[in-house]
Amino acid sequence: MAFSALTEKYSGKMGTLTIGSGDQAVTVGGQATMPFATFDGELPNKPLIAMEVYDVVDPEWPAAVVDPFKDVINDPIAWAKKNISEYGAKAICLQLASTDPNGENKDAAYAADLVGKMLAAIDVPLLVWGSGNVEKDAEVLAKVCEVNEGKNLLVGPAVEENYKKIAAACLGYGHAVVSQSPIDVNMAKQMNILISNLGLPMEKIIMEPSTGALGYGVEYSYSVMERISLAALAQNDDKMQAPIINDLGKECWKAREVKLTEEEEPSFGPDMEKRGVLWEATTGIDMLLSGSNLLIMRNPKAVKLVEECIDELMA
Amino acid sequence: MANTILTIPESINIMSKTIGPAIKERDPKPIQKMAIEQQEAGGDIQDLNLGPARKAGDEMMAWLVKTVEEVSDLPLALDSTNTVAIEAGLKASKTPERCILNSISAQPASLEDRMPLVKKYNCQFVALTLSDEGIPRDVNERGMCAAEIYGKALEYDIPAESMYIDPIVLPVCVDPGQVASFLEFLPLIPDFAPGAKSTCGLSNISNGTPTELRHYLNRAYQAMHIYLGIYSSIVDAYDEEMMALCKGKIPAVTDLTKTLMEGGDVDAASLRPELQVYYRSIKCLMGNVLYSHSWIEDLVDKLDKDWFK
Repeated sequence: MAFSALTEKYSGKMGTLTIGSGDQAVTVGGQATMPFATFDGELPNKPLIAMEVYDVVDPEWPAAVVDPFKDVINDPIAWAKKNISEYGAKAICLQLASTDPNGENKDAAYAADLVGKMLAAIDVPLLVWGSGNVEKDAEVLAKVCEVNEGKNLLVGPAVEENYKKIAAACLGYGHAVVSQSPIDVNMAKQMNILISNLGLPMEKIIMEPSTGALGYGVEYSYSVMERISLAALAQNDDKMQAPIINDLGKECWKAREVKLTEEEEPSFGPDMEKRGVLWEATTGIDMLLSGSNLLIMRNPKAVKLVEECIDELMA
Repeated sequence: MANTILTIPESINIMSKTIGPAIKERDPKPIQKMAIEQQEAGGDIQDLNLGPARKAGDEMMAWLVKTVEEVSDLPLALDSTNTVAIEAGLKASKTPERCILNSISAQPASLEDRMPLVKKYNCQFVALTLSDEGIPRDVNERGMCAAEIYGKALEYDIPAESMYIDPIVLPVCVDPGQVASFLEFLPLIPDFAPGAKSTCGLSNISNGTPTELRHYLNRAYQAMHIYLGIYSSIVDAYDEEMMALCKGKIPAVTDLTKTLMEGGDVDAASLRPELQVYYRSIKCLMGNVLYSHSWIEDLVDKLDKDWFK
């Protein structure tokens, strides 16, 4: 009798999410199998990496994430273009750090205008990320949605305290939303229910389960994402069938292991760039292996490493 | 399998906003009122929960026991982490042999301090499956804890029938694996501790769930426990539907639970909304559907609270 490999068949499959419009639209998700288990089921869309661009850079950033962008670091649009033309970025994530009330506190109109200019300048899908301030993000992201109507941005993060305003703006002006929950699979589901109750379909939602960097809780994100994937696939839970995104660049590049010099911690060795790149790439690969569909990353070399890994795993 | 279980009303608790101050001020009225109400509601054993009771716990427990025994002839469960308070309660009781010491864990200190009291007063006790390593992670660790306590009881020549095993209920929104482990362990109790009874602090299942929805989850979990043959349960006696369920008076729920627990399914949409609540809750508690706070959101407005009467 011929050998036939046992395969795992799932009753459900992950939904898809499309970002951007026209020729530049990209779709993620849609897998009918656990991560990269192509022998079990269909994996129609490659995971996507969006490269980060900040409108204001924290002076604490290590050289490994300043040097590649030195010439453009004060111009987010030029930075985005460089990411695309030089580093091959397939999507851009604009981090609106300057809108943080505890920082420069730039207003919503500024953010909406910057997003408009960015859209005009680039030909890849655009993600727009708030500063993480719950109230300010609601105001800023709603304005971004309104002014850039119909561009099918991916906007977030929407959390329990501000999802109504952000998701409603996405619904009203034709964008998709990031549904973020605090490393809790039940809360992830609850957020999706709350957002879809507003009328936004599941095809317009992607989940951010709260991302921990390597050494800073990556294992918690890993297990929550695995459980999300199993609920979507094995339990065919329609409220868990939104793809997954991980905002990991900022988590990785604030890790102590990435920031300390050899003088400060001799055991870490002299090559800070390599350390940082591996820190970010390892975190990214961990997230992919637990079910991520979209990664937000910073360093071009780390992005390249993870993309090579994706290609090998999909081959 | 029997459809009725012993109920242990939980409301005489120092954490309660009415009972707490009454205990501290030695005001018997609110406590006696509650004891009478709990008995009238069909409660079988009055739980008197003093919590840690670090300061003068003995006087408090003795007073509380006498206060409740003045108006209610039900046996008492003496619930405190203060062993001196427990002993004071046993001494004060008219019928210490009917009391339940709540609880003895598999922690060596608990076994050493408390098992002699069970012997001395010839009372019963709750065996909490907790060890120095913490809350058991699975069925086997629950079994080990139960066996440890069972062994200690036998050393003292205490009959297994005096022991109420509590396998520890943990919230569904913390870890559905623990919910499953509890359900798996319940029917194994006769193997781990032949002759022993079972009980649990049911409402912990819904810890973290929005307050107004907790009792729906509690009742569904109770229905599952009853199906699995639990002997008793610490419950809210003011929840009429819960009390009816514990007394086997809601056959529609008993039947639905049996079907689902035996691997069958029904067309949920054809059920009346009150039964759909049980259906969905049981599916979450069995681990078939991921729990979220909105699990019955679309049903709550359609429910008739007297539907089971």
